[in-house]
Amino acid sequence: MAKKKEPTATPHRVMVIDTNRCVGCWTCAVACKEVNNEPLGFWWNRILTTAPNESTAAAAPASENIDVPRGEYPNLEMAYLPVACQHCTDAPCVKVCPVQATFRRDDGTILVDYERCIGCRYCMAACPYGVRIFNWGDASYAPGGTVGYGADYRSDGRLVFTPERPKGVVEKCTFCVERIDVGQQPFCVESCPVGARVFGDIDDPGSEVSQLVNEGGAVQLHPELGTGPNVYYVPVRKRVPRES
Amino acid sequence: MATDTATVALPARGARPSISRIGLWYAALALLGALGLAAWVYELRTGLAATGMRDVVSWGMYIFTFAFFIGLSAGGLIMASSAEVFGIAALRPLSRLGVLSAAACVAVAGLMIIPDLGRPDRILNLFVHPNWTSPLIWDILIISVYFVFSVVDLAVLQRHATAGARWHRRMQVLAYVGLPTAVLLHSITAWIFGLQIARAWWNTALMAPLFVVSAILSGTALVTLLALAAHRWGGLTLADDTRRWLRGLIAVSLIVDLFFVGCDYITVLWGNVPADRSALDLVLPGGPWSWTFWVEWVAGGVVPLALLLVPRLRRLPGSLGVAAALAVVGVFAFRIELVVIGFVNPLTQYPPGNALGTYDRGTSSFELTGRYSPTWVEFAIVAGLVALFAAIVTVGYRRLRLRGAGTAADGPDRAGVRS
Repeated sequence: MAKKKEPTATPHRVMVIDTNRCVGCWTCAVACKEVNNEPLGFWWNRILTTAPNESTAAAAPASENIDVPRGEYPNLEMAYLPVACQHCTDAPCVKVCPVQATFRRDDGTILVDYERCIGCRYCMAACPYGVRIFNWGDASYAPGGTVGYGADYRSDGRLVFTPERPKGVVEKCTFCVERIDVGQQPFCVESCPVGARVFGDIDDPGSEVSQLVNEGGAVQLHPELGTGPNVYYVPVRKRVPRES
Repeated sequence: MATDTATVALPARGARPSISRIGLWYAALALLGALGLAAWVYELRTGLAATGMRDVVSWGMYIFTFAFFIGLSAGGLIMASSAEVFGIAALRPLSRLGVLSAAACVAVAGLMIIPDLGRPDRILNLFVHPNWTSPLIWDILIISVYFVFSVVDLAVLQRHATAGARWHRRMQVLAYVGLPTAVLLHSITAWIFGLQIARAWWNTALMAPLFVVSAILSGTALVTLLALAAHRWGGLTLADDTRRWLRGLIAVSLIVDLFFVGCDYITVLWGNVPADRSALDLVLPGGPWSWTFWVEWVAGGVVPLALLLVPRLRRLPGSLGVAAALAVVGVFAFRIELVVIGFVNPLTQYPPGNALGTYDRGTSSFELTGRYSPTWVEFAIVAGLVALFAAIVTVGYRRLRLRGAGTAADGPDRAGVRS
């Protein structure tokens, strides 16, 4: 991809998820869980079963269970919506956090300072996407020891990841700061078997993400709330049913 | 330390019959306080996993009880400020009792936040790194201001009652300051919820007015209950005129309260916007949380209104007390409904919903529609703090010698407007 902007400028990081490609396999969710050593019961990233192109608040679900299509045979429809932190430009969590523990980096990544969070959970009440997870007690992990990053990570001196979670603080998707800070892709992007996820700099007109957003018609979740998410979704192109 | 009080208070029981009743009362409060403290220690060791809260319903009993106590603190303002600002002399005998209960309510509400924090050891971050866009910071500020104000107001009222007219001017100035301060306290507490775009159930401009009126309702009802208790056990005389004012204040604020809630319901029902409607359906008859609706509208609404307004019922002995108690219960149900339904109603209407943040073998780690019931830890801590409130009011009532409040110094010098 041709870089047209100044190499020194801070990138504006954006993820685009092509819902035409997503097969609902949960590989990204499990990969996320592994690389971030998420305790049992934690899912920074999850795959919702939806009907094509429905807003998340539009209708009651077809079922409480995943992978259940909507409608009646043979007129069934189903799609998947992978949801993790939307890294909003005007993030409600950043606005409500009383101690500035949740903050937005210059590249648009929203992070939580594990050492400053007081555990009031106001951010969880304020987030429209329900992507934040609280450490209710001593974390329990899958057997086999620490996996993934396995080390503390600091951004601007603030502890934004630690493999063994402290009790009483909030956490969520970090866009894999450990990886993006060294020029790699977030692990969900890397691991998606069908290439449904794309990550890049939207300020770079030549990047795939900016093309998907500007020409591919990618949309945000709950745009009406004005949170300005930096995760976009390419809508499902519905096929016209064949006459028979 | 709370248990010490219990052991000290108990021997007094045998000594003199007159002390035994108050001694038993203190002992019971100390026991509840000690239980609450023990539960909190347990919670500190286990983490908030000891509560019924999880990632879908991530605020629970501490927060709705906090909001409830903030509302109850309105009583002080109503008694002290209306007596001065609107010249309602009949309420003046209750000024000091009201302000005393206001100070106690605000203190308890502030403390109620602490067990809700995941990291109470970092509470000073609120002052070291305040984020001024957060309504929580505004609330902490106004709670502190209101608490200090209540203590100062109580001191001035006390001086006025004992030392007389020299303090009259200061008392009046405070009454005028108290009014906007209290309105701000309830509004800011309402904005913690009302400003959140994420949850349709909360995001209404009506939230602040609703909090103000339900605070006036529950606050007046609480002072009524305290005054009736003091009348029964504490030697306070409650004049018929005062009762009439209390009855009127409770009835009017209850009607306005139900009107506001009704306005919200009609807006949601007529508009039929799915996100709003799915939340309201949880509450309306037939929904899983409809008990809050019945408590709010019938047990805490129609019944107390009938007791206060229907002439035949109004004359029944104890009608005022029962009505006040029911009104307080109704407002508490409203607070539960407000906080919990905001979370129970799924943000994401698609399976599997949100991760819970804890793992129980054999059960799903996800939840679509939220569930919540408090654990014994939450009940014990809240009960301990309620006992603290009762202890502050009892000690204050006795120390400040409020029993004579109905007479001499609080007397009729400003009675002009009423008669």
